[in-house]
Amino acid sequence: MRYDSVLDMIGETPLLRLDPAKHGVPEAEIFLKLESANPFGSVKDRVAWGLLRAHIDEIVENEQVVVEASSGNTAKALQIIASMHGVGFRAFTNRVRVREVREMLSLLGTEVTEMPGLSECPDPTAPNDVFGVIGDLMAAEPGRYHHTSQYTNEDNLRAHYEQTGREIHRDAGSVDLLVGGLGTTGSTRGAATYLRERNPATAVVGVVAAEGDFIPGIRSAAEMWEVGLFDPGFYDAIAAVDSADAISASLELATRHGVLAGPTTGAAYAAARERLLAGPGGPVRAVVIACDRMEPYLSYYRHRRPDLFGAASPAPAEEAPSATPGDLEAWVAAGEHVVVVDVRTALAFQAGHIPGAINLRDDLLEQVMEAGMPFSERSRVVFVCPTGDRSARFAARAAASGRKAYNLEGGVLGWRDSGRPLAGV
Amino acid sequence: MSQRFPLPAARHPLAARFLDDAAAVGEAIERFGSPLHVVFPQVIAENAAALAGVLRRHGVPYEIFYAHKVNASAALLAETSAAGLGADVASAAELDRALTAGFAPDRIEATGPKSPAFIERIAELGVTANADDLWELDRLAAAAPAGSAVPVLLRLSGFASPAVPQSRFGIDLADADAALETVRRAPGLDLRGVAFHLDTADPAARVDALTESMAVVAAAHRKGLRPSVVDIGGGFRQRFVDDPEPFQSYSQALAAAAPGELVWPGHDPSVSHKYANHRPTTEVLERFLAAELERRPVAEVLRECMLTLWIEPGKALVDHAGVTLASVLYRKRAAGRDLVVLDLSRNQVTPADQEVLLDPVLVDGHGEPPAEGVFLAGRLCLESDLVSRRKVFLESEPSSGDVLAFVNTAAYQMDLSASFAGGHPPPPKIAAVLEGGRFAFVADDHHGS
Ligand SMILES: Cc1ncc(COP(=O)(O)O)c(C=O)c1O
Ligand SMILES: Cc1ncc(COP(=O)(O)O)c(C=O)c1O
Repeated sequence: MRYDSVLDMIGETPLLRLDPAKHGVPEAEIFLKLESANPFGSVKDRVAWGLLRAHIDEIVENEQVVVEASSGNTAKALQIIASMHGVGFRAFTNRVRVREVREMLSLLGTEVTEMPGLSECPDPTAPNDVFGVIGDLMAAEPGRYHHTSQYTNEDNLRAHYEQTGREIHRDAGSVDLLVGGLGTTGSTRGAATYLRERNPATAVVGVVAAEGDFIPGIRSAAEMWEVGLFDPGFYDAIAAVDSADAISASLELATRHGVLAGPTTGAAYAAARERLLAGPGGPVRAVVIACDRMEPYLSYYRHRRPDLFGAASPAPAEEAPSATPGDLEAWVAAGEHVVVVDVRTALAFQAGHIPGAINLRDDLLEQVMEAGMPFSERSRVVFVCPTGDRSARFAARAAASGRKAYNLEGGVLGWRDSGRPLAGV
Repeated sequence: MSQRFPLPAARHPLAARFLDDAAAVGEAIERFGSPLHVVFPQVIAENAAALAGVLRRHGVPYEIFYAHKVNASAALLAETSAAGLGADVASAAELDRALTAGFAPDRIEATGPKSPAFIERIAELGVTANADDLWELDRLAAAAPAGSAVPVLLRLSGFASPAVPQSRFGIDLADADAALETVRRAPGLDLRGVAFHLDTADPAARVDALTESMAVVAAAHRKGLRPSVVDIGGGFRQRFVDDPEPFQSYSQALAAAAPGELVWPGHDPSVSHKYANHRPTTEVLERFLAAELERRPVAEVLRECMLTLWIEPGKALVDHAGVTLASVLYRKRAAGRDLVVLDLSRNQVTPADQEVLLDPVLVDGHGEPPAEGVFLAGRLCLESDLVSRRKVFLESEPSSGDVLAFVNTAAYQMDLSASFAGGHPPPPKIAAVLEGGRFAFVADDHHGS
């Protein structure tokens, strides 16, 4: 099919019917709405273009900068559309937590302002949520910015009502169940509104991350109250899924159905199947929104399932040789070469560490060790963390590959509490 | 006829039970008089447990110091002592009360600007001094005998981050080195750690202040000092309403209303945000601990920094731990408006520059809600002595002798501005304890915190 603008390629995504023999829910038809087929890779392409389409000429003419609260797919799509039109884009977010997403935004030149701890959507009780910060920015230079405001803008719903919902109905007919992840809630609500106009009995399940867990792109139930567009009464159920189930379900989609979809899709698929299996049975037609692809989340998968990445099952931490503060001092006094590796964050290291230690925080050390074991076989290497529980596995791993490696008993805390000095940076 | 815009207050079950028990309210007023402040020690214990629960759940080593300045009540102070909290005292008088309430000196911390006499007592008892200024540190160094180890926290301010509200308190970060040097040289002082206090709900402000404070912790280590505490003060929010919606409708109505319709003429009708809060008192702390710093939750960073987290909540601890009762003297019409005159003055139920924005409860009220709202007038000679400058909407018609209850007044509202103006002493205070289905009352007077 020929296109003259990539923007024309947004929407009209495939609806894939999953093989019933493989999904295993009796009498159910399960469709995936493959939003990953959008040109920039996600369900958010429709929203980004839907929010900008009617304003872009004005934005270009007035040389405005587009601003939005987003840490992921929306920011990516807005950045691309803004760049294509020669205008600037700035993203404000409380966190970008997935490495590939962060790297993709850097590559595209997005100016990301991270505001840890701030709510990303309008929050009536916080004096300066990200919305307030955007508001201040806009007030400081009136006319300079265009805020697309995906969390409150009805155009977000409209894009999914006019396109996603309509396409699903056209391709699948009347739908009994629609399941999708909740970020701004735009995709599920917009599409479901259309579907319910055709079949008022359409059940809608919104999927969130289990409390205290993290699934990129969607929120946890406790975070939903902040979302301006969120209307709890709209859903037949809000399903909380944990990241382990989301990952397993997305792997199943990949291996059984050939669909490479990200963890949110896995979460939605898991929730859909659970609801169908618990339901009354009988013929039912369900649609799951597949928001984006799997590849941008490799680091997420790796972090949560190192076993899938050929990580040799790590040497048990209990097997780590240990050293006391006295041993350490004795080795240094005897003129041996000793490397003390402090695996805490930079802030903690700066605030106080064992004199002479180097700082390699645990998640980075993990990556380094995956690539290969650093440190000379002749040095003694002593790993330290606050209490000695977290550094043990590094000591065990280094010892298993032939290093003279030790875990410091009692950690930095024990060192400090025994009256030994700490150094600050 | 105007529309009703009630702003109903959230009621703790214990307060609700008391106010629904007209006989108990009647007994209290009969024995102790009207107006009357009533505090509920059982509620402060509950609030303390909730805050401690959050800190435990996040796995941070912690201590909670009750900021006694929030309420002069001896009963509330004694309850926090029994609950194992520490006390944050802001004057020699508060220090004495804390000692009387059973706090050992090592569970007491002194904050705020201090007089020389107060500093002497701090040094003598070995109470932790949260130093507000270099001048205080010098005095403290002179007062602490060699060989003693008077614990010192440096209250910091002058943070570079624009998210951190500016403060007139504390030692400017630029002077932190001089402060550390003073402590290092003083033979009787022991640097316990660093401190700040931010009256904001914004987790980012505390995260930024924490980050900047760490530079002082590092500098302390360079000097061979051994800080082990970071004290983030108080400033956690109270929960005044169950539902934020009435506030939203009210603010909209206020913007649209004719002048003088919803607000007494000549007064600024701005809506104070604090009364609109429906989120739990623990939420600010929870969000701070869960906020990310170096892509790790703050709670974990604190553990890594090997710092014990101290907090000094005042209002979050006494949230819902008190109500204020006042009797209706009479009703009248004045300036074309309905007034309910109370035997109370404005400054006895709120700092005078603020407004109690929630509707009081009419104890033992009956019948339909009146269609019209009323203004509540105080008994002082000042035109400004309106207890409510906003029109309030009561649940039923009040008349002479009825009792109105202002809910959730234990935080700063009871004693911060109360005066003897007009020869009226501040209202007496009692503690009400629910025992076996009945409220027991004891006098709890401690005026002029
Ligand atoms: C991967 C992913 N899944 C799901 C969603 C949720 O979409 P919505 O904002 O329409 O609720 C998003 C939104 O950012 C997302 O990025
Ligand atoms: C140093 C200090 N700590 C704690 C508090 C208590 O604050 P809050 O009642 O807001 O918790 C105050 C209040 O002024 C204070 O100044």
